[in-house]
Amino acid sequence: MKAAAQAATPVVEDAYLVARAREGYLDAYELLVERHSAMAYRVALRLTGNHHDAQDVAQEALIAAWESLDRFQGGSSFSTWLYQIVTRRALNKITRGRDDRSLDLLPDRADPAMEPADKAERNLTVDAVTDALLALPFPQRTVIVLHHFERLSYAEIASVTGATEPAVRSHLFRARRALAKTLEEWK
Amino acid sequence: MEVTAPMPARTPLDDASLPCGTDVDLLLEQAAQGRGADWDAHQQLCVHCQAALGEFTALWGPVAELAAAPVSAPPGLVAAVMSQVRHLVHDTWYTLESTGIGAVRIAARIVAALARDSARMIPGVRVALGRSTHGEVPTLAEKATFGHQYPHAAVGVLGRTAVVDLAVAIGYGDPAHQVAREIQRHVTATLRDQVGLRDVTVNVTIDDVVDSDDGR
Repeated sequence: MKAAAQAATPVVEDAYLVARAREGYLDAYELLVERHSAMAYRVALRLTGNHHDAQDVAQEALIAAWESLDRFQGGSSFSTWLYQIVTRRALNKITRGRDDRSLDLLPDRADPAMEPADKAERNLTVDAVTDALLALPFPQRTVIVLHHFERLSYAEIASVTGATEPAVRSHLFRARRALAKTLEEWK
Repeated sequence: MEVTAPMPARTPLDDASLPCGTDVDLLLEQAAQGRGADWDAHQQLCVHCQAALGEFTALWGPVAELAAAPVSAPPGLVAAVMSQVRHLVHDTWYTLESTGIGAVRIAARIVAALARDSARMIPGVRVALGRSTHGEVPTLAEKATFGHQYPHAAVGVLGRTAVVDLAVAIGYGDPAHQVAREIQRHVTATLRDQVGLRDVTVNVTIDDVVDSDDGR
Protein backbone atom coordinates (compact mmCIF):
# COMPACT_ATOMS: atom_id res chain seq x y z
CA MET A 1 0.00 0.00 0.00
CA LYS A 2 2.76 2.36 0.98
CA ALA A 3 4.84 1.42 -2.05
CA ALA A 4 1.84 1.96 -4.30
CA ALA A 5 1.20 5.35 -2.78
CA GLN A 6 4.82 6.33 -3.32
CA ALA A 7 4.74 5.15 -6.92
CA ALA A 8 1.62 7.21 -7.54
CA THR A 9 3.30 10.36 -6.27
CA PRO A 10 6.90 10.06 -7.38
CA VAL A 11 7.75 13.75 -7.67
CA VAL A 12 5.96 15.55 -4.87
CA GLU A 13 7.69 18.69 -3.66
CA ASP A 14 9.51 18.79 -0.37
CA ALA A 15 7.12 21.50 0.80
CA TYR A 16 4.18 19.14 0.34
CA LEU A 17 5.91 16.41 2.29
CA VAL A 18 6.86 18.86 5.04
CA ALA A 19 3.25 19.98 5.36
CA ARG A 20 2.00 16.40 5.58
CA ALA A 21 4.71 15.46 8.05
CA ARG A 22 3.68 18.36 10.26
CA GLU A 23 0.18 16.94 10.27
CA GLY A 24 1.54 13.70 11.65
CA TYR A 25 2.04 11.64 8.50
CA LEU A 26 5.21 9.72 9.24
CA ASP A 27 5.39 8.28 5.75
CA ALA A 28 5.81 11.81 4.42
CA TYR A 29 8.74 12.39 6.68
CA GLU A 30 10.18 9.03 5.71
CA LEU A 31 10.17 10.15 2.09
CA LEU A 32 11.99 13.33 3.09
CA VAL A 33 14.56 11.28 4.97
CA GLU A 34 15.03 8.96 2.00
CA ARG A 35 15.45 11.98 -0.24
CA HIS A 36 17.95 13.87 1.91
CA SER A 37 19.79 11.30 4.03
CA ALA A 38 22.61 10.93 1.51
CA MET A 39 23.16 14.69 1.53
CA ALA A 40 23.12 14.82 5.32
CA TYR A 41 25.67 12.02 5.55
CA ARG A 42 27.84 13.41 2.74
CA VAL A 43 28.09 16.87 4.28
CA ALA A 44 28.71 15.43 7.73
CA LEU A 45 31.44 13.20 6.32
CA ARG A 46 33.21 16.14 4.67
CA LEU A 47 32.94 18.23 7.82
CA THR A 48 33.97 15.57 10.34
CA GLY A 49 36.24 13.42 8.14
CA ASN A 50 35.04 10.38 10.00
CA HIS A 51 32.50 7.80 8.89
CA HIS A 52 31.14 7.01 12.34
CA ASP A 53 30.84 10.63 13.42
CA ALA A 54 29.21 11.44 10.08
CA GLN A 55 26.67 8.68 10.56
CA ASP A 56 25.87 9.94 14.05
CA VAL A 57 25.60 13.54 12.87
CA ALA A 58 23.34 12.65 9.94
CA GLN A 59 21.06 10.56 12.13
CA GLU A 60 20.87 13.14 14.89
CA ALA A 61 20.24 15.95 12.38
CA LEU A 62 17.39 14.13 10.66
CA ILE A 63 15.78 13.37 14.02
CA ALA A 64 16.29 16.95 15.19
CA ALA A 65 14.64 18.17 11.99
CA TRP A 66 11.59 16.09 12.82
CA GLU A 67 11.49 17.39 16.36
CA SER A 68 11.57 21.01 15.23
CA LEU A 69 9.48 20.64 12.11
CA ASP A 70 6.80 22.89 13.58
CA ARG A 71 9.36 25.71 13.73
CA PHE A 72 10.33 25.36 10.06
CA GLN A 73 8.86 28.47 8.48
CA GLY A 74 9.26 27.52 4.86
CA GLY A 75 11.15 30.74 4.11
CA SER A 76 13.93 28.58 2.74
CA SER A 77 13.87 25.12 1.24
CA PHE A 78 13.82 22.03 3.44
CA SER A 79 17.27 21.09 2.15
CA THR A 80 18.73 24.49 3.08
CA TRP A 81 17.22 24.13 6.53
CA LEU A 82 18.65 20.62 6.83
CA TYR A 83 22.10 21.85 5.74
CA GLN A 84 21.89 24.28 8.65
CA ILE A 85 21.06 21.55 11.15
CA VAL A 86 23.75 19.20 9.83
CA THR A 87 26.50 21.82 9.97
CA ARG A 88 25.55 22.79 13.52
CA ARG A 89 25.45 19.17 14.63
CA ALA A 90 28.81 18.51 12.97
CA LEU A 91 30.32 21.46 14.80
CA ASN A 92 28.91 20.15 18.08
CA LYS A 93 30.36 16.72 17.36
CA ILE A 94 33.79 18.11 16.58
CA THR A 95 33.73 20.38 19.60
CA ARG A 96 32.74 17.52 21.87
CA GLY A 97 35.74 15.61 20.46
CA ARG A 98 36.66 12.00 20.20
CA ASP A 99 39.87 10.19 20.90
CA ASP A 100 39.58 7.77 18.06
CA ARG A 101 39.72 8.32 14.34
CA SER A 102 38.19 6.04 11.81
CA LEU A 103 40.45 4.56 9.18
CA ASP A 104 37.39 4.19 7.02
CA LEU A 105 37.27 7.79 5.90
CA LEU A 106 35.68 7.31 2.55
CA PRO A 107 34.33 3.88 1.81
CA ASP A 108 34.18 3.01 -1.88
CA ARG A 109 35.93 6.20 -2.84
CA ALA A 110 38.10 4.47 -5.43
CA ASP A 111 36.72 2.82 -8.55
CA PRO A 112 36.92 -0.97 -7.98
CA ALA A 113 37.87 -1.38 -11.63
CA MET A 114 41.04 0.67 -11.19
CA GLU A 115 44.45 -0.96 -11.08
CA PRO A 116 45.67 -1.39 -7.49
CA ALA A 117 48.54 1.06 -7.99
CA ASP A 118 46.22 3.69 -9.45
CA LYS A 119 43.70 3.07 -6.70
CA ALA A 120 46.38 3.49 -4.02
CA GLU A 121 47.63 6.70 -5.63
CA ARG A 122 44.12 8.08 -5.89
CA ASN A 123 43.36 7.21 -2.28
CA LEU A 124 46.52 9.01 -1.21
CA THR A 125 45.41 12.08 -3.14
CA VAL A 126 41.91 11.92 -1.70
CA ASP A 127 43.30 11.46 1.81
CA ALA A 128 45.58 14.45 1.32
CA VAL A 129 42.68 16.65 0.27
CA THR A 130 40.56 15.32 3.13
CA ASP A 131 43.31 16.10 5.62
CA ALA A 132 43.84 19.56 4.13
CA LEU A 133 40.12 20.20 4.41
CA LEU A 134 40.05 19.08 8.02
CA ALA A 135 42.97 21.37 8.80
CA LEU A 136 40.83 24.40 7.94
CA PRO A 137 38.96 26.25 10.69
CA PHE A 138 35.38 24.97 10.82
CA PRO A 139 33.73 28.08 9.29
CA GLN A 140 36.11 27.99 6.33
CA ARG A 141 35.66 24.23 5.93
CA THR A 142 31.91 24.73 5.94
CA VAL A 143 31.87 27.28 3.14
CA ILE A 144 34.24 25.19 1.03
CA VAL A 145 32.06 22.10 1.45
CA LEU A 146 28.81 23.92 0.83
CA HIS A 147 30.06 25.86 -2.20
CA HIS A 148 32.54 23.60 -3.93
CA PHE A 149 31.18 20.21 -2.90
CA GLU A 150 27.44 20.87 -2.59
CA ARG A 151 27.26 23.63 -5.24
CA LEU A 152 25.29 26.00 -3.03
CA SER A 153 25.20 29.65 -4.06
CA TYR A 154 26.48 32.47 -1.87
CA ALA A 155 22.88 33.34 -1.00
CA GLU A 156 22.09 29.76 0.00
CA ILE A 157 25.25 29.51 2.11
CA ALA A 158 24.36 32.81 3.73
CA SER A 159 20.97 31.34 4.60
CA VAL A 160 22.57 28.20 6.04
CA THR A 161 25.24 29.97 8.06
CA GLY A 162 23.36 33.11 9.01
CA ALA A 163 26.12 35.26 7.50
CA THR A 164 25.81 37.92 4.84
CA GLU A 165 26.68 37.15 1.23
CA PRO A 166 29.78 39.38 1.29
CA ALA A 167 30.90 37.61 4.45
CA VAL A 168 30.42 34.23 2.78
CA ARG A 169 32.48 35.38 -0.20
CA SER A 170 35.18 36.68 2.09
CA HIS A 171 35.26 33.39 4.00
CA LEU A 172 35.54 31.53 0.71
CA PHE A 173 38.47 33.63 -0.45
CA ARG A 174 40.37 32.93 2.75
CA ALA A 175 39.40 29.25 2.78
CA ARG A 176 40.43 28.65 -0.82
CA ARG A 177 43.77 30.31 -0.29
CA ALA A 178 44.44 28.34 2.90
CA LEU A 179 43.46 25.07 1.23
CA ALA A 180 45.57 25.82 -1.85
CA LYS A 181 48.55 26.74 0.30
CA THR A 182 48.32 23.43 2.15
CA LEU A 183 48.00 21.44 -1.06
CA GLU A 184 50.91 23.36 -2.55
CA GLU A 185 53.13 22.41 0.40
CA TRP A 186 52.25 18.75 -0.07
CA LYS A 187 52.98 18.73 -3.79
CA MET B 1 81.70 28.44 5.52
CA GLU B 2 78.16 29.01 6.62
CA VAL B 3 75.60 26.82 4.94
CA THR B 4 72.08 28.14 4.75
CA ALA B 5 68.94 26.36 3.67
CA PRO B 6 67.69 27.38 0.25
CA MET B 7 64.88 29.91 0.31
CA PRO B 8 61.59 28.35 -0.80
CA ALA B 9 60.44 29.68 -4.13
CA ARG B 10 57.70 32.29 -3.94
CA THR B 11 54.41 31.35 -5.48
CA PRO B 12 51.42 33.45 -6.50
CA LEU B 13 49.71 32.38 -3.26
CA ASP B 14 52.31 34.34 -1.27
CA ASP B 15 51.03 37.66 -2.63
CA ALA B 16 47.72 39.48 -2.79
CA SER B 17 48.17 40.33 -6.46
CA LEU B 18 50.29 39.38 -9.45
CA PRO B 19 52.88 41.74 -10.97
CA CYS B 20 50.20 42.72 -13.51
CA GLY B 21 47.95 43.85 -10.66
CA THR B 22 45.39 41.03 -10.91
CA ASP B 23 43.89 39.88 -7.59
CA VAL B 24 45.20 36.39 -6.77
CA ASP B 25 42.00 35.42 -4.95
CA LEU B 26 39.93 36.15 -8.04
CA LEU B 27 42.17 33.91 -10.14
CA LEU B 28 41.97 31.15 -7.54
CA GLU B 29 38.18 31.48 -7.54
CA GLN B 30 38.16 31.23 -11.32
CA ALA B 31 40.28 28.07 -11.27
CA ALA B 32 38.28 26.51 -8.41
CA GLN B 33 35.08 27.05 -10.39
CA GLY B 34 36.55 25.08 -13.29
CA ARG B 35 37.05 28.14 -15.49
CA GLY B 36 40.85 28.20 -15.45
CA ALA B 37 41.02 27.95 -19.22
CA ASP B 38 38.37 30.61 -19.86
CA TRP B 39 40.71 33.54 -20.29
CA ASP B 40 39.33 37.07 -20.49
CA ALA B 41 40.89 39.74 -22.73
CA HIS B 42 43.60 40.62 -20.21
CA GLN B 43 44.44 37.04 -19.42
CA GLN B 44 44.89 36.21 -23.10
CA LEU B 45 47.81 38.64 -23.18
CA CYS B 46 49.17 38.20 -19.65
CA VAL B 47 51.74 35.50 -18.92
CA HIS B 48 51.42 36.08 -15.17
CA CYS B 49 47.70 35.34 -15.18
CA GLN B 50 48.10 32.38 -17.51
CA ALA B 51 50.79 30.83 -15.32
CA ALA B 52 48.83 31.41 -12.14
CA LEU B 53 45.64 29.96 -13.60
CA GLY B 54 47.55 26.89 -14.78
CA GLU B 55 49.08 26.44 -11.34
CA PHE B 56 45.78 26.93 -9.50
CA THR B 57 43.88 24.60 -11.83
CA ALA B 58 46.41 21.84 -11.16
CA LEU B 59 46.28 22.49 -7.41
CA TRP B 60 42.49 22.38 -7.31
CA GLY B 61 42.21 19.21 -9.40
CA PRO B 62 42.24 16.79 -6.44
CA VAL B 63 39.68 18.93 -4.60
CA ALA B 64 37.35 18.79 -7.58
CA GLU B 65 37.94 15.05 -7.82
CA LEU B 66 36.99 14.53 -4.19
CA ALA B 67 33.95 16.77 -4.58
CA ALA B 68 32.78 14.70 -7.54
CA ALA B 69 33.22 11.36 -5.79
CA PRO B 70 29.81 9.79 -5.10
CA VAL B 71 28.90 9.29 -1.45
CA SER B 72 25.89 7.19 -0.51
CA ALA B 73 24.05 7.18 2.77
CA PRO B 74 25.10 4.23 4.95
CA PRO B 75 22.74 1.27 4.81
CA GLY B 76 20.22 1.44 7.60
CA LEU B 77 20.40 5.19 8.14
CA VAL B 78 16.84 5.82 6.99
CA ALA B 79 15.52 2.93 9.06
CA ALA B 80 17.41 4.10 12.13
CA VAL B 81 16.06 7.64 11.80
CA MET B 82 12.49 6.51 11.32
CA SER B 83 12.71 4.10 14.20
CA GLN B 84 13.71 6.99 16.43
CA VAL B 85 11.02 9.25 15.03
CA ARG B 86 8.33 6.65 15.66
CA HIS B 87 9.65 6.20 19.14
CA LEU B 88 9.54 9.95 19.70
CA VAL B 89 5.97 10.26 18.54
CA HIS B 90 4.72 7.70 21.00
CA ASP B 91 7.24 7.84 23.75
CA THR B 92 9.15 11.07 24.20
CA TRP B 93 10.43 11.74 27.66
CA TYR B 94 13.00 13.90 29.31
CA THR B 95 15.11 14.00 32.39
CA LEU B 96 13.92 16.78 34.62
CA GLU B 97 15.58 18.86 37.26
CA SER B 98 13.57 21.55 38.98
CA THR B 99 15.62 24.49 40.10
CA GLY B 100 14.69 27.70 41.81
CA ILE B 101 14.57 29.52 38.48
CA GLY B 102 12.81 26.93 36.36
CA ALA B 103 13.06 23.41 35.00
CA VAL B 104 15.88 21.77 33.08
CA ARG B 105 14.88 19.07 30.61
CA ILE B 106 17.26 16.93 28.62
CA ALA B 107 15.77 14.67 25.96
CA ALA B 108 16.24 10.98 26.48
CA ARG B 109 17.76 10.87 23.01
CA ILE B 110 20.63 13.02 24.26
CA VAL B 111 21.13 10.76 27.23
CA ALA B 112 21.26 7.77 24.90
CA ALA B 113 23.76 9.46 22.60
CA LEU B 114 26.02 10.39 25.50
CA ALA B 115 25.83 6.85 26.84
CA ARG B 116 26.64 5.41 23.44
CA ASP B 117 29.62 7.72 22.89
CA SER B 118 30.81 7.01 26.41
CA ALA B 119 30.65 3.25 25.86
CA ARG B 120 32.66 3.58 22.66
CA MET B 121 35.57 4.94 24.67
CA ILE B 122 36.05 1.62 26.48
CA PRO B 123 38.85 -0.57 25.08
CA GLY B 124 37.41 -3.68 23.48
CA VAL B 125 34.16 -2.05 22.39
CA ARG B 126 33.75 -2.14 18.61
CA VAL B 127 30.17 -0.97 18.27
CA ALA B 128 27.82 0.51 20.83
CA LEU B 129 24.17 1.36 20.30
CA GLY B 130 22.26 3.20 22.97
CA ARG B 131 18.63 3.60 23.83
CA SER B 132 16.79 4.91 26.83
CA THR B 133 13.75 3.28 28.25
CA HIS B 134 11.34 3.68 31.09
CA GLY B 135 9.08 0.78 30.28
CA GLU B 136 10.78 -1.46 32.78
CA VAL B 137 10.73 0.96 35.68
CA PRO B 138 7.06 1.77 36.23
CA THR B 139 7.53 2.52 39.90
CA LEU B 140 9.74 5.51 39.31
CA ALA B 141 8.53 8.68 40.89
CA GLU B 142 8.04 12.08 39.29
CA LYS B 143 6.29 10.65 36.28
CA ALA B 144 4.15 13.24 34.54
CA THR B 145 2.69 14.00 31.18
CA PHE B 146 3.08 17.15 29.15
CA GLY B 147 1.48 18.23 25.90
CA HIS B 148 3.58 17.73 22.81
CA GLN B 149 3.67 19.55 19.50
CA TYR B 150 2.62 16.48 17.56
CA PRO B 151 -0.89 14.99 17.63
CA HIS B 152 -1.55 12.05 19.90
CA ALA B 153 1.88 12.29 21.48
CA ALA B 154 2.78 12.88 25.08
CA VAL B 155 5.90 13.53 27.05
CA GLY B 156 6.66 11.49 30.11
CA VAL B 157 9.10 12.82 32.65
CA LEU B 158 11.31 10.61 34.73
CA GLY B 159 13.05 13.18 36.80
CA ARG B 160 16.72 12.51 37.41
CA THR B 161 16.48 8.79 36.92
CA ALA B 162 17.43 6.94 33.74
CA VAL B 163 17.65 3.43 32.46
CA VAL B 164 19.93 3.02 29.49
CA ASP B 165 20.18 -0.09 27.35
CA LEU B 166 23.39 -0.58 25.42
CA ALA B 167 23.87 -3.19 22.72
CA VAL B 168 27.57 -3.77 22.30
CA ALA B 169 29.82 -5.70 19.97
CA ILE B 170 33.31 -6.46 21.24
CA GLY B 171 36.45 -7.81 19.61
CA TYR B 172 37.45 -11.47 19.60
CA GLY B 173 39.45 -12.27 22.68
CA ASP B 174 38.29 -9.30 24.71
CA PRO B 175 37.00 -10.30 28.17
CA ALA B 176 33.24 -9.77 27.83
CA HIS B 177 32.39 -9.56 31.49
CA GLN B 178 35.23 -7.16 32.24
CA VAL B 179 34.33 -4.94 29.27
CA ALA B 180 30.67 -4.89 30.28
CA ARG B 181 31.46 -3.87 33.86
CA GLU B 182 33.79 -1.15 32.65
CA ILE B 183 31.07 0.16 30.33
CA GLN B 184 28.61 0.29 33.21
CA ARG B 185 31.06 2.20 35.39
CA HIS B 186 32.09 4.64 32.67
CA VAL B 187 28.61 5.35 31.32
CA THR B 188 27.17 5.79 34.79
CA ALA B 189 29.88 8.28 35.69
CA THR B 190 29.41 10.14 32.38
CA LEU B 191 25.65 10.51 32.83
CA ARG B 192 26.05 11.64 36.41
CA ASP B 193 28.73 14.17 35.51
CA GLN B 194 27.39 15.51 32.23
CA VAL B 195 23.62 15.27 32.66
CA GLY B 196 23.26 15.45 36.43
CA LEU B 197 21.34 12.21 36.61
CA ARG B 198 21.07 10.83 40.11
CA ASP B 199 19.99 7.24 39.61
CA VAL B 200 21.40 5.54 36.54
CA THR B 201 20.87 1.96 35.48
CA VAL B 202 22.99 0.77 32.57
CA ASN B 203 21.97 -2.52 31.00
CA VAL B 204 24.70 -3.91 28.76
CA THR B 205 23.96 -6.59 26.20
CA ILE B 206 26.95 -7.95 24.36
CA ASP B 207 25.31 -9.33 21.26
CA ASP B 208 28.13 -9.64 18.78
CA VAL B 209 31.81 -10.39 18.57
CA VAL B 210 33.77 -9.05 15.63
CA ASP B 211 37.27 -9.31 14.20
CA SER B 212 39.69 -6.71 15.44
CA ASP B 213 39.69 -5.03 12.02
CA ASP B 214 35.90 -4.78 11.91
CA GLY B 215 33.66 -2.32 13.65
CA ARG B 216 34.78 1.24 13.84
